[in-house]
Amino acid sequence: MEEKKLIERAQSGDKKALADLVKNYEQTIYNFAFKICRDKNYAEQIMQDTFYSMVKSLHQFDHNSKLSTWLYRIVANHCLMMARKLKNHPFVSLDDDENLFEEKYAADWSSIPYKDTENEELKIILDKAIQNLSPDYRLVFLLRDVEGLSTEETAQVTELTIPAVKSRLHRARAFLRKEINEAFS
Amino acid sequence: MKNEKVTCKEVMKHVCESLGENLNDDRCIEIKKHLDLCPNCREYFKSVEITIDCYRKYNVQVPEEAHDRLMKMLGLEE
Repeated sequence: MEEKKLIERAQSGDKKALADLVKNYEQTIYNFAFKICRDKNYAEQIMQDTFYSMVKSLHQFDHNSKLSTWLYRIVANHCLMMARKLKNHPFVSLDDDENLFEEKYAADWSSIPYKDTENEELKIILDKAIQNLSPDYRLVFLLRDVEGLSTEETAQVTELTIPAVKSRLHRARAFLRKEINEAFS
Repeated sequence: MKNEKVTCKEVMKHVCESLGENLNDDRCIEIKKHLDLCPNCREYFKSVEITIDCYRKYNVQVPEEAHDRLMKMLGLEE
């Protein structure tokens, strides 16, 4: 069934339509939450909180944005709330971006097993690198580069201006690239 | 802008700022020229692309039990 009809039915109390909407988006939401918090238990908690919020406020959804954009906004808020609650990891400051482009190490990027999606060594490095990035930067990088939202949609979800999205994105890209470069040097 | 005014550092910054955007201003054209001539900056460009690709490909599946717990919590179990 077309998504708009599914939403309308769910808004009028059709439980089957609501269940279908949840099923259509649970993979995206869980995966996104995991990518922000890098922990499966927290990702499940965030997924539950996100869909609980969705069910509670679906009647307010007015089709002015895509449902996916609306859900990204909800999940992004829950991710940030979780990060604030945990506060267990010191983040690297990206205020001075000059250091991001200093090359002390030179990895052989052709040897990085980036095509092997199940490579455990690479997964550990990717987890560690992104955990050093503050959640605000993580959000922008993941929404824009990984989930493929446009700069405008990313700004809408994060409630940032377009220049702020661009600034966080370029620092996040440079930072993550630098961390991987050092890990493989 | 003259070619010698574009430094490798500027190119690296520019790559991180504009990757994925189709820009055709004078500065971009100058940067593209630099990339054609500088293997280090080309390598840098490629490494930023690989970084993004790594995070795109690293995905997790919702465990079946997590799905069941979610539907139960929402009162939507079948």
